[in-house]
Amino acid sequence: MPYIAIVDDEEPVRKALKRLLVASGFEVDSYASGAEFLATQRQPSPDCLILDLHMPGMSGLQVLDALKGSGRELPTVIITAYDAPELSAQCRAAGVSAFLRKPLDERVLLNSISSSLARATAGRGDPSLRR
Amino acid sequence: MDSDSTAPQRIAHREGRRWRLPAMPDRALPALAVALGYYLAAQLGFLLTLHPHPISTLWPPNALLLAALLLAPTRAWWWLLAAVLPAHLAVELQSGVPIAMVLGWYVSNCSEALIGAGLVRTFVPGILRLDSLRNVGIFILCAVLAAPLLSSFLDAAFVRMLAWSDAGYWDLVRSRIPANVLAELTVAPLILTWAAFDPSQLRRVSVARCAEFAALFAGLVLVSVAVFDRPAFAASPALFYLPLPFLLWAAVRVGLAGTANALALLTIVVIWGAVHGLGPFAAHAPKEIAHEMQLFLCAVAVPLLLLAVALEQGERVGRDAHEQRRQLTHLSRVAMLGELSGGIAHELNQPLTAILANAQAGQHFLANKSAPPGALAEILQDIIVADQRAGDVIRRLHTLFKRGETQFVSIDANELVREVLAIVRGDLVMRSVELVTQLGDTLPPVRGDRVELQQVLLNLVMNACEAMSAATPPGSRQLTVRTRIADGGARITVTDTGPGFAPEEYEQLFEPFYTTKPQGLGLGLSLSRAIMRAHRGRLWGSGSPGKGASFHILLPAFHAQR
Repeated sequence: MPYIAIVDDEEPVRKALKRLLVASGFEVDSYASGAEFLATQRQPSPDCLILDLHMPGMSGLQVLDALKGSGRELPTVIITAYDAPELSAQCRAAGVSAFLRKPLDERVLLNSISSSLARATAGRGDPSLRR
Repeated sequence: MDSDSTAPQRIAHREGRRWRLPAMPDRALPALAVALGYYLAAQLGFLLTLHPHPISTLWPPNALLLAALLLAPTRAWWWLLAAVLPAHLAVELQSGVPIAMVLGWYVSNCSEALIGAGLVRTFVPGILRLDSLRNVGIFILCAVLAAPLLSSFLDAAFVRMLAWSDAGYWDLVRSRIPANVLAELTVAPLILTWAAFDPSQLRRVSVARCAEFAALFAGLVLVSVAVFDRPAFAASPALFYLPLPFLLWAAVRVGLAGTANALALLTIVVIWGAVHGLGPFAAHAPKEIAHEMQLFLCAVAVPLLLLAVALEQGERVGRDAHEQRRQLTHLSRVAMLGELSGGIAHELNQPLTAILANAQAGQHFLANKSAPPGALAEILQDIIVADQRAGDVIRRLHTLFKRGETQFVSIDANELVREVLAIVRGDLVMRSVELVTQLGDTLPPVRGDRVELQQVLLNLVMNACEAMSAATPPGSRQLTVRTRIADGGARITVTDTGPGFAPEEYEQLFEPFYTTKPQGLGLGLSLSRAIMRAHRGRLWGSGSPGKGASFHILLPAFHAQR
């Protein structure tokens, strides 16, 4: 069962996405901020990270930088409640798998997660085997 | 129920065609009204004539005709002039005046109205409204002075030519002018202001205002009767000025319409007294009575009419300025909507995301029959909460951006801060601005318009955010909003960690069109200060370069302003 981490400061959004992904067959953990996520030492690392772009404190891009800095790069789907063209370009430059605008269409979200997982699998082997 | 009057209609229907009144030209009804008015005005003129030697004190028909011309389009003038001829003949022929003289007076009366109306229309095209000093000035010069003066030459010439009077030409001119000047001053403004009256305004008049009008006019009539309609020996010239407070009251509180009505009342009372041998003027010879009385009434009427219209004009300028500020304030708020659009999208998309994801999760649970106990109820509850949150965002925005009248109510400054911060919450997140709030306890309630105060605070917060976004790295952007008691009222301070301003620059920031933003109009702070002035509050800035900027709002306590 692929393991997904959700990082979003919005509690209702976090809770609803976790519910949706659990109902879709994923194992899910959620975090209220980038700092909380980075501080967690849970192993193994998530197979895919659903990361909110605009959060108080650390932004999604800063979380990505921190992950990169600590050598923990993860397949990441960026989600944002406000879209601007330059943001999408910045995120893609930071190596994210997908950039999605809220509200999230379930099919697009699941496809993005699947693509991220497939890309990661192609690079690192089957995540389910690692668990 | 059938009646005789409906019989022709029934017959007409039976015959297969509609019966109707013969069509009346559009101009016929006003012309008939003017003719009737002319007739009655002439009868009034006769009533107000001194005896036994007939000296006219007030001759209203010419003023009525002049007012009718001023209210009519120029192309309809001939129609009105023709309509008063039968009325003129009916009045004058009754008093045994030869037809040639009657027609001569018709020509001179019409010439007075035509000269006055023609001159006025030359300077004020269209229907004359006595709503500015310029228009009233033109009316006085053209209709009150020039028209009686010029037409009196013609009138005296007719009288001399037809040997109707033994008086000399210049005596005739001199005696005709004042009666007509006085009529133009009192009758024409009365008609013009009544013609401009909008009956729908009556619905907006309060009971207190009606009582004030009643007291004003009752007082004026009582005082005027007491002074001018008492036996001559008892009336002192010093009492002439007793009606003046009521006339000033009319000018100040009721405007030109009230003044015109008050002057007409006074004129009737004064002349009625003099004609009946009463009042302070009756002690003189008839010719002097007319002359003194006309001089007195003209001397009162001209400054009062000018004062009334000047006050009305000043009040209108003030009202227009207030309305323009209100419109500009609203436009500025609407312009702010553009700046807030990103944050608004952020704030609305969050609950929408929660609603959609919850609904889709629910669908999965139902399809797979895999819902944990109580999960569906929890999902529905979360959807309700998210929906209410989206509704709150829209309600707050609607309140802020709708256009409405300023309403001063008691406001909790802390509540005001919370409302504004809820609106900008999305913006703060998007701009990576950390928010610190330090809200004081037990603040006194302040008096203000909630929307306008929100606008001021929103402007300060948005300015702070923009200043930090432009010059401060994300980790160092901090917005602090404090409230505390100050000077017996409430003080709200918005502080940022932006670049700040030089101390001398703060006052410049409040000047209209002064801006430090590339896309700014430079109106936000100047409008905010105008709003604060209207609230009897203060708005100022402080801080120094490199140490951030603080902007302070001081609002007096609610009770202090009552």
